[in-house]
Amino acid sequence: MLKSWKLKEIVLMSLFAVVFGIVYLLFLHVGNIWAGFIGPIAYEWIFGIWFIVSIICMYIIRKPGAAVVSETIAAAIEVLLGNAVGPRLILSGVIQGLGAEAVFAATRYKRFDLWVLMLAGVGSSIFSFAYGYFLGGFTVFSTGYVALMLGIRIVSGALLAGVGGKAVADGLLATGSLRGYAISRSKKGEVRA
Amino acid sequence: MKNALHKMNPSIKFLAITICMFTMAFFFDPWTPLVFWIGVLVLQLLFTQISWKKWLLFMLPFFVTAFGYFWTTLVFAEDQSGPVVWSIWNLQVTQTQLNHALSLSFRVMAFSSLSLLFALTTNPVTFILSLMQQLKLSPKIAYGVMVGYQFLPVLKDEFVQIRQAHRLRGATKEKNALQRLFGIRRILIPMLAGAVRKAERAAFAMEARGFTGDRRSSYFHVITIGKVDFALVSLFLVVLVLSCSNMLWLRL
Repeated sequence: MLKSWKLKEIVLMSLFAVVFGIVYLLFLHVGNIWAGFIGPIAYEWIFGIWFIVSIICMYIIRKPGAAVVSETIAAAIEVLLGNAVGPRLILSGVIQGLGAEAVFAATRYKRFDLWVLMLAGVGSSIFSFAYGYFLGGFTVFSTGYVALMLGIRIVSGALLAGVGGKAVADGLLATGSLRGYAISRSKKGEVRA
Repeated sequence: MKNALHKMNPSIKFLAITICMFTMAFFFDPWTPLVFWIGVLVLQLLFTQISWKKWLLFMLPFFVTAFGYFWTTLVFAEDQSGPVVWSIWNLQVTQTQLNHALSLSFRVMAFSSLSLLFALTTNPVTFILSLMQQLKLSPKIAYGVMVGYQFLPVLKDEFVQIRQAHRLRGATKEKNALQRLFGIRRILIPMLAGAVRKAERAAFAMEARGFTGDRRSSYFHVITIGKVDFALVSLFLVVLVLSCSNMLWLRL
Protein backbone atom coordinates (compact mmCIF):
# COMPACT_ATOMS: atom_id res chain seq x y z
CA MET A 1 0.00 0.00 0.00
CA LEU A 2 2.77 2.41 0.94
CA LYS A 3 4.75 1.80 -2.24
CA SER A 4 2.59 4.17 -4.27
CA TRP A 5 2.88 6.91 -1.67
CA LYS A 6 5.20 9.83 -2.21
CA LEU A 7 7.22 11.00 0.76
CA LYS A 8 5.79 14.51 0.46
CA GLU A 9 2.29 13.14 0.89
CA ILE A 10 3.25 11.38 4.10
CA VAL A 11 5.05 14.43 5.47
CA LEU A 12 2.01 16.52 4.48
CA MET A 13 -0.26 14.25 6.54
CA SER A 14 2.16 14.45 9.41
CA LEU A 15 2.23 18.26 9.39
CA PHE A 16 -1.57 18.43 9.12
CA ALA A 17 -1.65 16.04 12.04
CA VAL A 18 0.43 18.47 14.07
CA VAL A 19 -1.84 21.43 13.26
CA PHE A 20 -4.99 19.42 14.00
CA GLY A 21 -3.33 17.65 16.93
CA ILE A 22 -3.30 21.00 18.69
CA VAL A 23 -6.94 21.64 17.73
CA TYR A 24 -7.86 18.12 18.91
CA LEU A 25 -6.19 18.62 22.28
CA LEU A 26 -8.00 21.92 22.71
CA PHE A 27 -11.33 20.23 22.11
CA LEU A 28 -10.36 17.36 24.39
CA HIS A 29 -9.88 19.76 27.29
CA VAL A 30 -13.18 21.48 26.53
CA GLY A 31 -14.82 18.02 26.38
CA ASN A 32 -13.26 16.92 29.66
CA ILE A 33 -14.51 19.92 31.54
CA TRP A 34 -18.00 19.61 30.04
CA ALA A 35 -18.08 15.89 30.78
CA GLY A 36 -17.86 16.68 34.47
CA PHE A 37 -21.13 18.56 34.31
CA ILE A 38 -23.20 16.70 31.75
CA GLY A 39 -21.49 13.29 31.66
CA PRO A 40 -19.92 11.44 28.74
CA ILE A 41 -22.54 12.83 26.35
CA ALA A 42 -20.50 16.05 26.40
CA TYR A 43 -17.99 14.56 23.97
CA GLU A 44 -20.65 13.60 21.43
CA TRP A 45 -21.41 17.14 20.20
CA ILE A 46 -17.80 17.83 19.31
CA PHE A 47 -16.81 14.32 18.33
CA GLY A 48 -16.80 15.12 14.62
CA ILE A 49 -13.81 17.41 14.98
CA TRP A 50 -11.65 14.35 15.75
CA PHE A 51 -12.39 12.81 12.35
CA ILE A 52 -11.64 15.93 10.32
CA VAL A 53 -8.02 15.14 9.49
CA SER A 54 -8.83 11.81 7.79
CA ILE A 55 -11.45 13.48 5.61
CA ILE A 56 -9.26 16.44 4.66
CA CYS A 57 -6.29 14.21 3.82
CA MET A 58 -8.36 11.78 1.77
CA TYR A 59 -10.03 14.67 -0.07
CA ILE A 60 -6.60 16.10 -0.95
CA ILE A 61 -4.49 13.01 -1.57
CA ARG A 62 -7.12 10.53 -2.86
CA LYS A 63 -5.15 7.34 -2.43
CA PRO A 64 -6.26 4.17 -0.69
CA GLY A 65 -5.27 4.36 2.96
CA ALA A 66 -5.13 8.16 3.21
CA ALA A 67 -7.94 8.26 5.77
CA VAL A 68 -6.68 5.60 8.14
CA VAL A 69 -2.99 6.52 7.90
CA SER A 70 -3.60 10.23 8.47
CA GLU A 71 -5.90 9.66 11.44
CA THR A 72 -3.39 7.26 12.98
CA ILE A 73 -0.56 9.75 12.50
CA ALA A 74 -2.71 12.49 14.04
CA ALA A 75 -3.37 10.29 17.05
CA ALA A 76 0.32 9.40 17.34
CA ILE A 77 1.27 13.09 17.21
CA GLU A 78 -1.32 13.83 19.87
CA VAL A 79 0.35 11.22 22.07
CA LEU A 80 3.80 12.68 21.31
CA LEU A 81 2.59 16.16 22.26
CA GLY A 82 2.02 14.65 25.67
CA ASN A 83 -1.49 14.29 26.92
CA ALA A 84 -3.13 12.25 29.58
CA VAL A 85 -5.33 10.14 27.32
CA GLY A 86 -2.13 8.52 26.17
CA PRO A 87 -1.42 5.45 24.08
CA ARG A 88 -5.03 4.29 23.72
CA LEU A 89 -5.58 7.34 21.49
CA ILE A 90 -3.52 5.61 18.78
CA LEU A 91 -5.97 2.73 18.71
CA SER A 92 -8.97 5.03 18.60
CA GLY A 93 -7.25 6.89 15.76
CA VAL A 94 -6.90 3.68 13.76
CA ILE A 95 -10.53 2.78 14.35
CA GLN A 96 -11.87 6.24 13.45
CA GLY A 97 -9.73 6.22 10.32
CA LEU A 98 -11.03 2.79 9.33
CA GLY A 99 -14.61 4.06 9.58
CA ALA A 100 -13.95 6.83 7.06
CA GLU A 101 -11.79 4.56 4.93
CA ALA A 102 -14.60 2.01 4.64
CA VAL A 103 -16.89 4.62 3.06
CA PHE A 104 -14.26 5.80 0.58
CA ALA A 105 -13.42 2.19 -0.27
CA ALA A 106 -17.11 1.52 -0.93
CA THR A 107 -17.04 4.24 -3.63
CA ARG A 108 -13.77 2.70 -4.93
CA TYR A 109 -12.01 6.00 -4.22
CA LYS A 110 -13.80 7.60 -7.18
CA ARG A 111 -16.28 9.99 -5.62
CA PHE A 112 -15.28 12.83 -3.37
CA ASP A 113 -18.38 15.04 -3.28
CA LEU A 114 -19.97 16.48 -0.18
CA TRP A 115 -22.28 13.50 0.36
CA VAL A 116 -19.46 10.98 0.38
CA LEU A 117 -17.43 13.15 2.76
CA MET A 118 -20.41 13.44 5.10
CA LEU A 119 -20.94 9.68 4.91
CA ALA A 120 -17.28 9.19 5.75
CA GLY A 121 -17.85 11.29 8.87
CA VAL A 122 -20.81 9.08 9.73
CA GLY A 123 -18.67 5.97 9.15
CA SER A 124 -16.06 7.26 11.59
CA SER A 125 -18.82 8.04 14.08
CA ILE A 126 -20.20 4.52 13.98
CA PHE A 127 -16.82 2.80 14.20
CA SER A 128 -15.61 5.00 17.03
CA PHE A 129 -18.89 4.58 18.89
CA ALA A 130 -18.61 0.80 18.79
CA TYR A 131 -15.10 1.09 20.22
CA GLY A 132 -16.16 3.60 22.87
CA TYR A 133 -19.16 1.43 23.77
CA PHE A 134 -16.80 -1.37 24.67
CA LEU A 135 -13.98 0.57 26.33
CA GLY A 136 -16.14 3.18 28.06
CA GLY A 137 -18.53 0.57 29.42
CA PHE A 138 -21.64 2.14 27.86
CA THR A 139 -23.52 -1.16 28.36
CA VAL A 140 -24.57 0.06 31.79
CA PHE A 141 -26.46 3.03 30.34
CA SER A 142 -30.08 2.67 29.28
CA THR A 143 -30.76 1.96 25.60
CA GLY A 144 -32.45 5.31 24.98
CA TYR A 145 -29.50 7.22 26.37
CA VAL A 146 -27.02 5.23 24.25
CA ALA A 147 -29.15 5.81 21.13
CA LEU A 148 -29.19 9.54 21.86
CA MET A 149 -25.39 9.54 22.21
CA LEU A 150 -24.97 7.69 18.92
CA GLY A 151 -27.42 10.01 17.14
CA ILE A 152 -25.61 13.13 18.27
CA ARG A 153 -22.28 11.64 17.31
CA ILE A 154 -23.48 10.78 13.80
CA VAL A 155 -24.78 14.32 13.24
CA SER A 156 -21.54 15.73 14.62
CA GLY A 157 -19.48 13.45 12.37
CA ALA A 158 -21.43 14.42 9.25
CA LEU A 159 -21.42 18.16 9.97
CA LEU A 160 -18.14 18.91 11.73
CA ALA A 161 -15.99 16.37 9.90
CA GLY A 162 -17.80 16.11 6.54
CA VAL A 163 -19.00 19.67 5.87
CA GLY A 164 -16.27 21.30 7.97
CA GLY A 165 -13.52 19.21 6.43
CA LYS A 166 -14.65 20.05 2.91
CA ALA A 167 -14.85 23.75 3.74
CA VAL A 168 -11.31 23.77 5.12
CA ALA A 169 -9.88 21.79 2.19
CA ASP A 170 -11.68 23.95 -0.39
CA GLY A 171 -10.39 27.07 1.33
CA LEU A 172 -6.92 25.61 1.17
CA LEU A 173 -7.33 24.73 -2.51
CA ALA A 174 -8.22 28.35 -3.23
CA THR A 175 -4.86 29.48 -1.86
CA GLY A 176 -3.13 27.54 -4.63
CA SER A 177 -0.78 25.71 -2.33
CA LEU A 178 -2.19 22.30 -3.20
CA ARG A 179 -0.76 22.20 -6.71
CA GLY A 180 0.85 18.83 -7.20
CA TYR A 181 -1.80 16.92 -5.25
CA ALA A 182 -4.65 14.87 -6.62
CA ILE A 183 -7.29 17.39 -5.54
CA SER A 184 -6.13 20.16 -7.89
CA ARG A 185 -5.57 17.77 -10.77
CA SER A 186 -9.12 16.46 -10.55
CA LYS A 187 -10.52 20.00 -10.68
CA LYS A 188 -8.98 20.47 -14.09
CA GLY A 189 -11.27 17.84 -15.52
CA GLU A 190 -9.42 14.62 -15.05
CA VAL A 191 -11.59 12.05 -13.36
CA ARG A 192 -8.92 10.74 -11.10
CA ALA A 193 -5.34 11.85 -11.18
CA MET B 1 15.45 1.15 40.15
CA LYS B 2 13.77 4.51 40.42
CA ASN B 3 13.95 5.12 36.67
CA ALA B 4 13.20 1.61 35.43
CA LEU B 5 9.98 2.65 33.70
CA HIS B 6 11.72 5.61 32.07
CA LYS B 7 14.25 3.24 30.54
CA MET B 8 11.75 0.54 29.57
CA ASN B 9 11.38 -0.24 25.87
CA PRO B 10 8.55 2.08 24.70
CA SER B 11 6.90 -0.45 22.37
CA ILE B 12 6.78 -3.09 25.09
CA LYS B 13 5.40 -0.51 27.51
CA PHE B 14 2.80 0.48 24.92
CA LEU B 15 1.70 -3.13 24.41
CA ALA B 16 1.58 -3.87 28.15
CA ILE B 17 -0.59 -0.81 28.78
CA THR B 18 -2.91 -1.62 25.88
CA ILE B 19 -3.43 -5.19 27.12
CA CYS B 20 -4.21 -3.89 30.61
CA MET B 21 -6.80 -1.43 29.27
CA PHE B 22 -8.62 -3.97 27.12
CA THR B 23 -8.79 -6.43 29.99
CA MET B 24 -10.17 -3.75 32.33
CA ALA B 25 -13.01 -3.05 29.88
CA PHE B 26 -14.62 -6.41 30.76
CA PHE B 27 -15.18 -5.60 34.45
CA PHE B 28 -18.15 -3.76 35.89
CA ASP B 29 -17.56 -4.13 39.63
CA PRO B 30 -16.03 -1.24 41.55
CA TRP B 31 -13.16 -3.21 43.10
CA THR B 32 -11.31 -4.38 39.97
CA PRO B 33 -10.58 -0.89 38.57
CA LEU B 34 -9.93 0.46 42.07
CA VAL B 35 -7.35 -2.22 42.90
CA PHE B 36 -5.84 -1.79 39.45
CA TRP B 37 -5.62 1.98 39.90
CA ILE B 38 -3.84 1.52 43.24
CA GLY B 39 -1.50 -0.99 41.60
CA VAL B 40 -0.61 1.50 38.86
CA LEU B 41 0.09 4.16 41.46
CA VAL B 42 2.35 1.75 43.37
CA LEU B 43 4.27 1.02 40.16
CA GLN B 44 4.56 4.75 39.58
CA LEU B 45 5.83 5.27 43.13
CA LEU B 46 8.42 2.50 42.91
CA PHE B 47 9.76 2.74 39.37
CA THR B 48 9.39 6.32 38.17
CA GLN B 49 10.59 9.76 39.06
CA ILE B 50 7.39 11.52 38.05
CA SER B 51 6.78 14.59 40.15
CA TRP B 52 3.48 14.07 41.97
CA LYS B 53 2.65 17.77 41.74
CA LYS B 54 2.79 17.56 37.95
CA TRP B 55 0.81 14.32 38.02
CA LEU B 56 -1.94 15.88 40.11
CA LEU B 57 -2.16 18.83 37.72
CA PHE B 58 -2.64 16.50 34.73
CA MET B 59 -5.12 14.32 36.60
CA LEU B 60 -7.33 17.21 37.71
CA PRO B 61 -9.56 17.27 34.59
CA PHE B 62 -10.02 13.50 34.88
CA PHE B 63 -11.35 13.77 38.40
CA VAL B 64 -14.01 16.02 36.90
CA THR B 65 -14.68 13.52 34.07
CA ALA B 66 -14.91 10.64 36.53
CA PHE B 67 -17.53 12.58 38.48
CA GLY B 68 -19.49 13.11 35.23
CA TYR B 69 -19.45 9.38 34.58
CA PHE B 70 -20.53 8.74 38.16
CA TRP B 71 -23.72 10.73 38.12
CA THR B 72 -24.63 9.90 34.50
CA THR B 73 -24.51 6.20 35.34
CA LEU B 74 -26.72 6.79 38.38
CA VAL B 75 -29.34 8.67 36.38
CA PHE B 76 -29.29 6.78 33.06
CA ALA B 77 -28.61 3.23 34.24
CA GLU B 78 -29.90 0.24 32.30
CA ASP B 79 -29.88 -2.34 35.06
CA GLN B 80 -31.94 -1.05 38.01
CA SER B 81 -32.20 -4.28 39.98
CA GLY B 82 -31.05 -4.89 43.53
CA PRO B 83 -31.93 -3.26 46.85
CA VAL B 84 -32.23 0.51 47.08
CA VAL B 85 -29.28 1.85 49.01
CA TRP B 86 -29.63 5.55 48.56
CA SER B 87 -32.31 8.01 47.51
CA ILE B 88 -31.94 11.64 46.52
CA TRP B 89 -35.08 13.61 45.72
CA ASN B 90 -37.09 11.12 43.71
CA LEU B 91 -34.11 9.18 42.40
CA GLN B 92 -33.78 5.68 43.84
CA VAL B 93 -30.22 4.39 43.63
CA THR B 94 -29.91 0.61 43.76
CA GLN B 95 -26.88 -1.47 44.69
CA THR B 96 -26.24 -2.46 41.05
CA GLN B 97 -26.45 1.12 39.86
CA LEU B 98 -24.04 2.33 42.53
CA ASN B 99 -21.60 -0.49 41.68
CA HIS B 100 -21.68 0.34 37.98
CA ALA B 101 -21.27 4.05 38.64
CA LEU B 102 -18.30 3.53 40.94
CA SER B 103 -16.81 1.03 38.48
CA LEU B 104 -16.95 3.43 35.53
CA SER B 105 -15.52 6.30 37.58
CA PHE B 106 -12.65 4.18 38.86
CA ARG B 107 -12.11 2.95 35.33
CA VAL B 108 -11.66 6.55 34.14
CA MET B 109 -9.15 7.10 36.95
CA ALA B 110 -7.27 3.85 36.23
CA PHE B 111 -7.10 4.52 32.48
CA SER B 112 -5.88 8.09 32.91
CA SER B 113 -3.24 7.12 35.49
CA LEU B 114 -2.01 4.38 33.20
CA SER B 115 -1.89 6.77 30.25
CA LEU B 116 -0.11 9.42 32.29
CA LEU B 117 2.40 6.80 33.41
CA PHE B 118 3.19 6.25 29.73
CA ALA B 119 3.16 9.90 28.70
CA LEU B 120 5.37 11.10 31.55
CA THR B 121 8.00 8.37 31.26
CA THR B 122 8.38 8.07 27.49
CA ASN B 123 10.61 10.11 25.21
CA PRO B 124 8.61 10.73 21.99
CA VAL B 125 11.55 10.23 19.63
CA THR B 126 12.56 6.98 21.32
CA PHE B 127 8.96 5.81 21.05
CA ILE B 128 8.87 6.33 17.27
CA LEU B 129 12.29 4.72 16.80
CA SER B 130 11.18 1.78 18.88
CA LEU B 131 7.93 1.43 16.89
CA MET B 132 10.06 1.25 13.76
CA GLN B 133 12.64 -1.17 15.14
CA GLN B 134 10.50 -3.48 17.27
CA LEU B 135 7.00 -3.26 15.78
CA LYS B 136 8.12 -2.97 12.14
CA LEU B 137 6.48 0.37 11.44
CA SER B 138 7.32 1.58 7.92
CA PRO B 139 10.33 3.98 8.01
CA LYS B 140 8.48 6.27 5.61
CA ILE B 141 5.77 6.81 8.20
CA ALA B 142 8.13 6.81 11.18
CA TYR B 143 10.39 9.54 9.79
CA GLY B 144 7.37 11.40 8.41
CA VAL B 145 5.88 11.55 11.89
CA MET B 146 9.20 12.66 13.28
CA VAL B 147 9.40 15.54 10.79
CA GLY B 148 5.94 16.66 11.88
CA TYR B 149 6.90 16.45 15.52
CA GLN B 150 10.05 18.53 14.97
CA PHE B 151 8.01 21.19 13.18
CA LEU B 152 5.83 21.77 16.22
CA PRO B 153 7.74 24.81 17.57
CA VAL B 154 7.88 26.31 14.05
CA LEU B 155 4.13 25.98 13.66
CA LYS B 156 3.62 27.49 17.10
CA ASP B 157 5.64 30.54 16.07
CA GLU B 158 3.67 30.78 12.85
CA PHE B 159 0.40 30.72 14.76
CA VAL B 160 1.55 33.71 16.83
CA GLN B 161 2.77 35.54 13.71
CA ILE B 162 -0.50 35.07 11.84
CA ARG B 163 -2.49 36.33 14.80
CA GLN B 164 -0.21 39.34 15.18
CA ALA B 165 -0.48 40.07 11.45
CA HIS B 166 -4.27 39.96 11.69
CA ARG B 167 -4.25 42.27 14.67
CA LEU B 168 -1.83 44.66 12.95
CA ARG B 169 -4.20 45.10 10.05
CA GLY B 170 -7.21 45.39 12.31
CA ALA B 171 -8.77 42.21 11.02
CA THR B 172 -9.67 40.78 14.40
CA LYS B 173 -12.73 42.07 16.08
CA GLU B 174 -13.68 38.97 18.01
CA LYS B 175 -15.70 39.77 21.05
CA ASN B 176 -17.46 36.60 22.11
CA ALA B 177 -16.53 32.95 22.10
CA LEU B 178 -18.72 32.13 19.09
CA GLN B 179 -17.00 34.70 16.86
CA ARG B 180 -13.67 33.36 18.04
CA LEU B 181 -14.68 29.84 17.08
CA PHE B 182 -15.58 30.92 13.55
CA GLY B 183 -12.49 33.11 13.41
CA ILE B 184 -10.34 30.03 13.77
CA ARG B 185 -10.85 29.36 10.05
CA ARG B 186 -8.97 32.57 9.22
CA ILE B 187 -5.97 31.26 11.14
CA LEU B 188 -6.30 27.61 10.18
CA ILE B 189 -6.10 28.07 6.40
CA PRO B 190 -2.89 30.12 6.30
CA MET B 191 -1.37 27.70 8.78
CA LEU B 192 -2.31 24.69 6.67
CA ALA B 193 -1.06 26.41 3.51
CA GLY B 194 2.24 27.00 5.28
CA ALA B 195 2.25 23.38 6.41
CA VAL B 196 1.82 22.15 2.82
CA ARG B 197 4.84 24.16 1.69
CA LYS B 198 6.96 23.03 4.63
CA ALA B 199 6.01 19.41 4.00
CA GLU B 200 7.08 19.65 0.38
CA ARG B 201 10.37 21.28 1.25
CA ALA B 202 11.16 18.77 4.00
CA ALA B 203 10.30 15.81 1.77
CA PHE B 204 12.50 17.09 -1.08
CA ALA B 205 15.35 17.69 1.36
CA MET B 206 15.05 14.16 2.73
CA GLU B 207 14.99 12.60 -0.69
CA ALA B 208 17.90 14.75 -1.86
CA ARG B 209 19.93 13.28 1.00
CA GLY B 210 19.23 9.74 -0.07
CA PHE B 211 16.16 8.83 1.99
CA THR B 212 14.27 6.15 0.08
CA GLY B 213 11.91 4.94 2.76
CA ASP B 214 13.23 1.40 2.57
CA ARG B 215 13.89 -0.63 5.68
CA ARG B 216 17.50 -0.55 6.77
CA SER B 217 19.56 -3.28 8.34
CA SER B 218 21.22 -1.13 10.98
CA TYR B 219 20.31 2.01 12.91
CA PHE B 220 22.28 4.79 14.51
CA HIS B 221 20.09 4.77 17.61
CA VAL B 222 19.49 1.15 18.52
CA ILE B 223 16.55 0.56 20.86
CA THR B 224 16.95 -2.72 22.70
CA ILE B 225 14.77 -5.09 24.67
CA GLY B 226 16.37 -6.31 27.90
CA LYS B 227 15.64 -8.37 30.99
CA VAL B 228 14.28 -5.29 32.76
CA ASP B 229 11.53 -5.05 30.14
CA PHE B 230 10.38 -8.60 30.81
CA ALA B 231 10.47 -7.98 34.56
CA LEU B 232 8.36 -4.84 34.20
CA VAL B 233 5.85 -6.52 31.87
CA SER B 234 5.49 -9.29 34.45
CA LEU B 235 4.86 -6.67 37.11
CA PHE B 236 2.13 -5.09 34.97
CA LEU B 237 0.58 -8.52 34.50
CA VAL B 238 0.79 -9.24 38.25
CA VAL B 239 -1.11 -6.02 38.95
CA LEU B 240 -3.65 -6.96 36.27
CA VAL B 241 -4.18 -10.49 37.59
CA LEU B 242 -4.35 -9.30 41.20
CA SER B 243 -7.04 -6.75 40.35
CA CYS B 244 -9.05 -9.16 38.19
CA SER B 245 -9.01 -11.83 40.88
CA ASN B 246 -9.90 -9.43 43.70
CA MET B 247 -13.02 -11.42 44.66
CA LEU B 248 -10.74 -14.30 45.62
CA TRP B 249 -8.58 -12.46 48.10
CA LEU B 250 -10.55 -9.32 48.90
CA ARG B 251 -13.31 -10.76 51.10
CA LEU B 252 -16.01 -8.14 51.32
